[in-house]
Amino acid sequence: MIEPYNKLVKLAARAFYDDLTSKGDNQPKTGRSDNRGIAVVVLDALTRRQWVREEDLAKDLKLHTKQLRRTLRFFEEEKIITRDHRRETAKGAKIYSAAVAATADAATGKEGEEKVKLHTHSYCCLDYAQIYDVVRYRLHRMKHKLKDELENKNTVQEYICINCGKRYNALDALRLISFEDEDFHCERCNGKLEVESDKFAAQDGGDGGDGDENARRRRREKLKDMLQKMEVQLKPLIDQLGRVKDLPVPEFGTLQAWEARASAAGRAANGENSGDSKSHLGYNGAPMPYSGDTKVIVDFNGTEGKGEGVKSETDSTSLKVLPPWMITSGMNLTKEQRGEVKQEIKMDGTSTSTAAQYTDEKKSTIVHDDKNIQDEYIKAYYAALLKKQHEMEEAAKNPQDGNGADDPSSSTSNRQVGIKTKREEDDDGTEWEEAPVRGNGGYKVDLNVEAVAPAEDEDDEDDVDWEEG
Amino acid sequence: MFFHIVLERNMQLHPRYFGRNLRDNLVSKLMKDVEGTCSGRHGFVVAVTGIENVGKGIIRDGTGFVTFPVKYQCVVFRPFKGEILESVVTMVNKMGFFAEAGPVQVFVSNHLIPDDMEFQSGDMPNYTTSDGSVKIQKDSEVRLKIIGTRVDATEIFCIGTIKDDFLGVINDPAAV
Ligand SMILES: [Zn+2]
Repeated sequence: MIEPYNKLVKLAARAFYDDLTSKGDNQPKTGRSDNRGIAVVVLDALTRRQWVREEDLAKDLKLHTKQLRRTLRFFEEEKIITRDHRRETAKGAKIYSAAVAATADAATGKEGEEKVKLHTHSYCCLDYAQIYDVVRYRLHRMKHKLKDELENKNTVQEYICINCGKRYNALDALRLISFEDEDFHCERCNGKLEVESDKFAAQDGGDGGDGDENARRRRREKLKDMLQKMEVQLKPLIDQLGRVKDLPVPEFGTLQAWEARASAAGRAANGENSGDSKSHLGYNGAPMPYSGDTKVIVDFNGTEGKGEGVKSETDSTSLKVLPPWMITSGMNLTKEQRGEVKQEIKMDGTSTSTAAQYTDEKKSTIVHDDKNIQDEYIKAYYAALLKKQHEMEEAAKNPQDGNGADDPSSSTSNRQVGIKTKREEDDDGTEWEEAPVRGNGGYKVDLNVEAVAPAEDEDDEDDVDWEEG
Repeated sequence: MFFHIVLERNMQLHPRYFGRNLRDNLVSKLMKDVEGTCSGRHGFVVAVTGIENVGKGIIRDGTGFVTFPVKYQCVVFRPFKGEILESVVTMVNKMGFFAEAGPVQVFVSNHLIPDDMEFQSGDMPNYTTSDGSVKIQKDSEVRLKIIGTRVDATEIFCIGTIKDDFLGVINDPAAV
């Protein structure tokens, strides 16, 4: 949010303050005392800071404090920055230092300065809202001034007598009115007056005696040129103004308000609610409201080599597998919620075929899984889950489950099989079709499926046994 | 711009005004003398608002006239370059138009009238836009900006422009 404004400041600095020399140096310019460009450096530095103590800034920029002050005073007059001066003890300085430490950027050394007894410290800060207005006003004035002069807007009209050549200007108008007609008349010879510039424009390049007119024409050319150059050279700045136009203005508030906010934010970030924040505010202080938040975007599905395992995982999210410790006897659960091992077994009819499928699936998924760490994570999770379920089922003395018990990756393949069996169900069009309906949770529906119901009941009871054991 | 200031003036009073009403006579003569006058330094004296103090009179040798130094408060109007004034048009010709803002006369030459306004001569000479929507003629009320002043000892004359934002006709006399 602050970036476009900073760019605006930088552009404005280069456009308007590039050749600024600090005033008051009467001594002839040597290479050393030529400090043009300082203004740009200072403004750039300020875009990277918020409120900053001027001594600190001087130190950072390796400038003499006096020199920096002069520049800052100038910018204050230009309404680019706001400044604050206060007499403060070491404690006051500490508050500021704490605030600084809380901002992400200005983590400069300031220990050691805190022993200052009671000094007037000056602080400065960019005033973005005002900069926006000042820059716009400046551009407006520049354009206006050039245009005014180009269009003779504020010039006094001159008149000349055709007869005797006496000159008048608009300020004489009152004396020149004649009541005979609507023209101006010469006071001396009562001749008709002509508007002077018109006349000279007419005899363009005539006797050429009038250097005055030539100078005027040159001036006009220069003005036109300047206006054109202005449009071209200031275009980036004007564009940036347009870009910034609808953005909210970064506002730091007064020094006090800013300090309070900064240190509060710093404390909050460090999980500390009270006490001396100074010692705990490290360089990893909280970002200020306008220094931008860190955005973490986790792209779950964006990876290219998305394996089947992932797909199955997302497919099955509609039915969540409950962790075993959440399952109690009273719960009306579907098999899918418990983990669908049993269901698969029933569908395939025999345990061996299931096992075969397990291994086949496993191989294919493993190949895919290698590509994706996320898959690995999911796999590990399901492996743990499955293991639990197998333990449960072993407790229920179900002999078929021994096959996949120790297989860590079978969970994902397990899901695969689940999907596959659903497909089979569709193909067969047999009683298994009801499995998904049952999966959606009705107890009555569950009862209708005779083959399954007892097993489930048994499972429920076993479940309780296992948990109690 | 208007100012409320204190001025001083030496008033010569004929002996026939001496008597009980001397002070009243002095004040009414002062008003008659100064209100409506113009000094280049202070501008137009609009109104005397009070007498600060009347000094001791000095009798002129030979005439019997007495001179009183009088300090008085008054409102003055002094136009400045850059000032915006509202004025009434008094005369229009092809060179431009004249207008009055209270006591001050202002001339606006035709190159300081917007380019889209053209001079129309005739019974009621005027400047009119091509679509006829805006017309400047005698008695039009015009807001203008002073771009130059000529200040003599007893006279102030201004030239103005209406070629800027928010300047120009502020009423239409034809519509009233
Ligand atoms: Zn003449």
